[in-house]
Amino acid sequence: MQTEVRQARFADVNDDVVRSLVVTGRNYYIALGIAGFVTLTCFFFPWFYQLYYGIGAAGMNSPTVWGTYLASFIFWIGLSHSGTLLSCVLHLTNSEWRKAMYRSAEAMTFFSLFVAITMVMVHIGRPWFIHWAAPYPNQMGLWPNFRSPLMFDVMAIMTYLTGSGIFIYMGAIPDFAAVRDRTTGWRHHLYVLLSLGWRGTDKEWHRLGWAYTFLAVLIIPLAVSVHSIVSWDFALSIVPGLHQTIFAPYFVVGAIYSGTAGIVTVMFVLRKYMNFEHYITKLHFDNLGKLLLLLSLLWTYINMLELFTGWFSGTSTEYEQLKYKLTGFYAPLYWEMILFCAVAPLLLISRKFRTSFVPMLILSIAINIGMYTERFLIVATTLSRQYLPGSWRVYVPSLVEISILVGSLALFVTLFLLFVKIFPSISIYEIKETMGVPKKHGEHHDT
Amino acid sequence: MNFIDRFMASWRKYRKPGYYEEFDYAWTMTVDLDRCTGCGACVTACQAENNIPIVGEKELGRGREMQWIRIERYWEGEYPNAKLSFIPMLCQQCDAAPCETVCPVSATYHNQDGLNAQIYNRCIGTRSCAVYCPYEVRYFNYYDHHWDAPLEQQLNPDVTVREKGVMEKCTFCVQRIRQAKDHAKDDGRRRVKDGEVQPACVQTCPSEALTFGDRKDANSVVAKKMNDPRAYHVLEETNTLPSVVYLKKVRANAD
Amino acid sequence: MSNVDRRQFLKLVGAGGVGAGAGFMLAESIKHPVEYLIPYPIPPEEFSPGIATWYNSVCGMCPAGCGISVRTREGRAKKIEGNPLHPVNQGRLCALGQAGLQTLYNPDRLTGPMLQSGERGSEEFIQTTWEESLATVAHRLAAARDGGKNIYLLSEGVRGHLAMLLERFMDGLGSEHLMHYDFAHPHALYAANQRLFGEHTLPYYDIRNTRYLLSFGADYLSNWLSPVHHSLGFGHSRQGTDLDRGRFVQIEAKMSLSGAAADEWIPARPGSEGILALGLAHQILAGGAYTGSDFDDWNAALAGYSAESVAERTGVAAKTIVRLASEFMKAEPGLAIGGGAVDNHSNAVDTLVAVNLLNYLVGNIGKPGGIVFNSDPVVGGPANNRQANFIAMQQLAEQARHGAIDVLIVNNTNPVFTLPHASGFREALASIPMIVSLSSFMDETTTMADVVLPSHSYLESWGDDMPQPGLGFPVAAISQPVVSPLYNTRATGDIILDLAGKLGMKDSMPWDSMEACLKDGWRQIYERSSPDASDFDTFWRDVLVSGVWGEDIHRQDTVVVDKSVIDNIDVAEPEFSGDSEQYPFFLHPYMSTAMYDGRGANLPWMQELPDPMTSIVYGSWVEMNPATAQQLGLRDGDLVSISSEYGSLEAPVVIFPAIMPEVIAMPIGQGHSAFGRYARDRGTNPLQILAPLTATTSGSLATHATRVSLAATGRRAAPVQTGGDTRQLGRNIVQFTGDDSSAGGHSANLNSIPIVVKTT
Repeated sequence: MQTEVRQARFADVNDDVVRSLVVTGRNYYIALGIAGFVTLTCFFFPWFYQLYYGIGAAGMNSPTVWGTYLASFIFWIGLSHSGTLLSCVLHLTNSEWRKAMYRSAEAMTFFSLFVAITMVMVHIGRPWFIHWAAPYPNQMGLWPNFRSPLMFDVMAIMTYLTGSGIFIYMGAIPDFAAVRDRTTGWRHHLYVLLSLGWRGTDKEWHRLGWAYTFLAVLIIPLAVSVHSIVSWDFALSIVPGLHQTIFAPYFVVGAIYSGTAGIVTVMFVLRKYMNFEHYITKLHFDNLGKLLLLLSLLWTYINMLELFTGWFSGTSTEYEQLKYKLTGFYAPLYWEMILFCAVAPLLLISRKFRTSFVPMLILSIAINIGMYTERFLIVATTLSRQYLPGSWRVYVPSLVEISILVGSLALFVTLFLLFVKIFPSISIYEIKETMGVPKKHGEHHDT
Repeated sequence: MNFIDRFMASWRKYRKPGYYEEFDYAWTMTVDLDRCTGCGACVTACQAENNIPIVGEKELGRGREMQWIRIERYWEGEYPNAKLSFIPMLCQQCDAAPCETVCPVSATYHNQDGLNAQIYNRCIGTRSCAVYCPYEVRYFNYYDHHWDAPLEQQLNPDVTVREKGVMEKCTFCVQRIRQAKDHAKDDGRRRVKDGEVQPACVQTCPSEALTFGDRKDANSVVAKKMNDPRAYHVLEETNTLPSVVYLKKVRANAD
Repeated sequence: MSNVDRRQFLKLVGAGGVGAGAGFMLAESIKHPVEYLIPYPIPPEEFSPGIATWYNSVCGMCPAGCGISVRTREGRAKKIEGNPLHPVNQGRLCALGQAGLQTLYNPDRLTGPMLQSGERGSEEFIQTTWEESLATVAHRLAAARDGGKNIYLLSEGVRGHLAMLLERFMDGLGSEHLMHYDFAHPHALYAANQRLFGEHTLPYYDIRNTRYLLSFGADYLSNWLSPVHHSLGFGHSRQGTDLDRGRFVQIEAKMSLSGAAADEWIPARPGSEGILALGLAHQILAGGAYTGSDFDDWNAALAGYSAESVAERTGVAAKTIVRLASEFMKAEPGLAIGGGAVDNHSNAVDTLVAVNLLNYLVGNIGKPGGIVFNSDPVVGGPANNRQANFIAMQQLAEQARHGAIDVLIVNNTNPVFTLPHASGFREALASIPMIVSLSSFMDETTTMADVVLPSHSYLESWGDDMPQPGLGFPVAAISQPVVSPLYNTRATGDIILDLAGKLGMKDSMPWDSMEACLKDGWRQIYERSSPDASDFDTFWRDVLVSGVWGEDIHRQDTVVVDKSVIDNIDVAEPEFSGDSEQYPFFLHPYMSTAMYDGRGANLPWMQELPDPMTSIVYGSWVEMNPATAQQLGLRDGDLVSISSEYGSLEAPVVIFPAIMPEVIAMPIGQGHSAFGRYARDRGTNPLQILAPLTATTSGSLATHATRVSLAATGRRAAPVQTGGDTRQLGRNIVQFTGDDSSAGGHSANLNSIPIVVKTT
């Protein structure tokens, strides 16, 4: 009986996953259409307008030369964090529950990075020269400035993008092969190419396993370094409120925090709309909830440290910065961030909360709103209140910026929607591995 | 020598203490706050000399001013003992400039005269230099500026007009320094004489609050002013080693 | 480094031939005003592409008469700098002077003669030719002259040969109605000097050598008389000598730029400054600084000005009065000046007599660091004797209303903007059958003209100038064209000469052009001065190169104080329009640094120059004390309505820490209804709502004698400000030292700058 169920499950896995790739409902097209339309109108049109008119289309001004674009950049980099990092960590610790969610988590990483790089393009004044930031040999003998934290950033992000790209692709090769064997027409040809002639021999499995683990080990420090380096864009400046040693861990924790919340959101959506109820279960939400709680406490601790540093420094610049953050123009946003990222996650103490899907969804979205606010505040509060009070000026995002922010979300959704139709969005073979191992308690069978 | 060795050699060269001291000049400006009246002549002189665009009311309202030198004003006390002090704020041409390290494409760098040079052509507009600058003296071209005809006929042919997406800032009127050096060379002199070159702001300052020269020349006016006990650097705690030296304002009854 | 004092300056001029410009050569290239995309495809011989040519000339932006050096490249003016040889500004220039290029290249310049085709003020004009327009004007003038009708010429304050031409022109027309009108002309100061010293001139105020300056309301660093020269003096007095650092005290109701620069700013009740001056005089007498034979008479005359009674009347503490007097007495030398608001109260003449009296009592008349009287200008009569005061302008309006004026010629002055509505000037213009305007811009007065004869900007014209106030020795400067005329315009002098020719005045004005007239006139200077130059042409060339000429002559006679002054030394209480119940605030309109009397408003650089005191650009505002604002429940940026008995206007509130609570201040210069795209419909003009009160005896408009009321409109219109917060928050951005001597203060830590001395 047990065997029967298991075999049925085995069959179901392939069917379910391939169905999710091949059978496309009207709702999908509607969703893709809306997302694509919003991307076009809210992201590309305003961006083209900005390219034509100049960065002046955004609300940035003389002291606050960085704005929401850079906040979005950090946000997307942050969101990219948990995916691959979590996947790697859980892979190395052999966590069973990872296997149902890691593919979508890694995809999230990849697309977040993609959107983050797009945000850099939107952010800079002359994006048509962005290649100058890359170290390529040229007859002028011009190199980028290797002392620049922005340069480190380019390197780190490109490495992370490459690493996580290879990681997600390599993990999916057996699945591509599985899909290849079950599809026809153009899809078949596509998956023939993507599966790189995978046949499923022992040797192949062995090498895949070895390479996969190797990459997982490689990517963990990379992920930590990426956001540390992003934080150096700020922390290596001497701007009061940015020039802080806590920034690297602060950014890494923040990144993992928002990334984990992002995974919760994505998993809810996949589970609900891709009919993966059997694979993504309460267990996943429970575990992710625990992780979120831990991260929220860490994040809160670092925030308190930041306040303490400002107060303890005793210098006018740091102290005014602190006062401004807590009571100034942007203070409502600060307290909103505290509510969403430090107070609300305390609900996760309750197991009931952690295993309820809709409250978890709401909380995860709230955390990411809070985390976006955090990034915005890092840029806006500090830059608008620097050393010379005579040049203080408040910054308010313009319509173009808000539109591009919304558009970048839509861009992410569009890319994700395209992804779920090409990539098996849960890992077929690893799910099967889970099933292959007899369980003492067949809990997941009941869900 | 392989690439690494070459790289390390030039790295060491640039990292050597006193690297900048080997240069011929160290252009310096002194600002005597006791003389400065805040009249703004320097602001307009700079705007005329350096093709600084006319921004317009709307864009100024959004905080996109472009004037490379500005007069900051600081009040103390309350009526009837309110006092107002002015301080001209311009690029400090720091020897340890935070803006230079952050530019990913090296569009801003330290040139042979100790000037903090900005290469408009190389700038990609990350604006990080403006963030890193504690003096807030870097100005970004948020869009292409426009001169109502025939105002453009006034534009100085020795200075470029900057396009959108590019950062700009005070150059110490590098075009004048360049010209003075050429003159010196034509005259068969090795060095520019003290007082031979003045940026537009220094040239016009009605109360002679600004002076300009080479601090390496011990007999220059600026070198002497730097030895005045009133000399100080703004935001000295940031350790940017500025080339603009301020002289303290005298308060008859300051304590 | 151009600390040119008089002797150095004379040496330099004597040496001649310094510089590179040779203006007269340009005359050749001026004949063909053809515009090329690339200037000079075939360059004239004396030009080298890529090499700048400098021309020395005279600044025309304000009446101070600074010398300028204009840098031109390929026939276009690129930069104006001060002429280092000119003793007024010694190479320096103010912001307005720098912006002179934008009058030349202003997009709103008038490009050719025009006739009004619509109603007056409608700004509907049709283009015409010079021949036609000049013929029309000449015909009309001839008819008026022959018909015995009145012709008025209202000009900006011009000096030198242009002033002479205007005189002769009006003589030729048989009219005595030649009037110069400058809003900022210090009528009361002239009247006060007349009363005390018997001289209707401006003396030279030697701020450079004074060690203690008491300024009663004079914003001498911003716009009073000769701001650049005063700034030079200020800087020198502060830090330029080995002597004690000069101390500056400013007495005024609202802190001006000079007030901010001063060591001490003392608010005194508006209009009571003269009483304060007499109080100081009383203390000086008591202190024994004055030892004249008429000591007892003075003592008796000033008996009523004890420190206590003056303190009560002025609001300045008795202790302060005693201290100021003692400091002023001890200073070697001290100088007292009065202007600005003080020049514009109903008791202005009394006040300025009292201020000058301080100088007299401490004996610094005719001394370095004090007041030095000038000799007469080298060319033409005494300057500014034609300046029309407010009463004269009202009479003009009155005459116009009665139809007694047939033709009014306006030369580059804008009374419609600078006179209050209550004067009825604009309406009166409607009754004048023919108005001719010579102007570069469509200003408010020019919109009322029937014939517009566009004049050259000062950078395209020939002219000369004797700076006023003088410097204690004769100085004359040549203004020469630095670029070819941009448009179909003509120089004012040439227009006058042309009209004179058409009207048969060749006898008194035989010249073909202003240049010829100048050359003829400067022959006198050549003969008088016997310079090194061997012949006149060399002299002329040298003068064009240096741009300025001077002579080492001083007045030898001592100025005698009119003793009858003692009997009526009292300062009357100031009169104000509006009762204190209904109109609780004193309106303090002031000239801003950038706009002067409104002429800067069409220059985008001046619109974008942040007002130094408030950092506001592009707009008008009303400044008030924080206490006043709190009492009225107003915040920064609230739009308030300001009403006097003669009208009301709206402006946003700016809270200003250094203004008396009962005073509100507004900058002059904005609120144009014409004058080009940058000036039009921007801000408000506080002069509009002034009461037509005049200062006794000088007859000038008492611009500070209007009381106003304030009412919130409930709307907000925050002005555009470039600055952020205005407190230092202990960040030591502007640092202070209590001690001036090199021994004191803590030594600055500049060791971090690598300084290596290399000998070459």
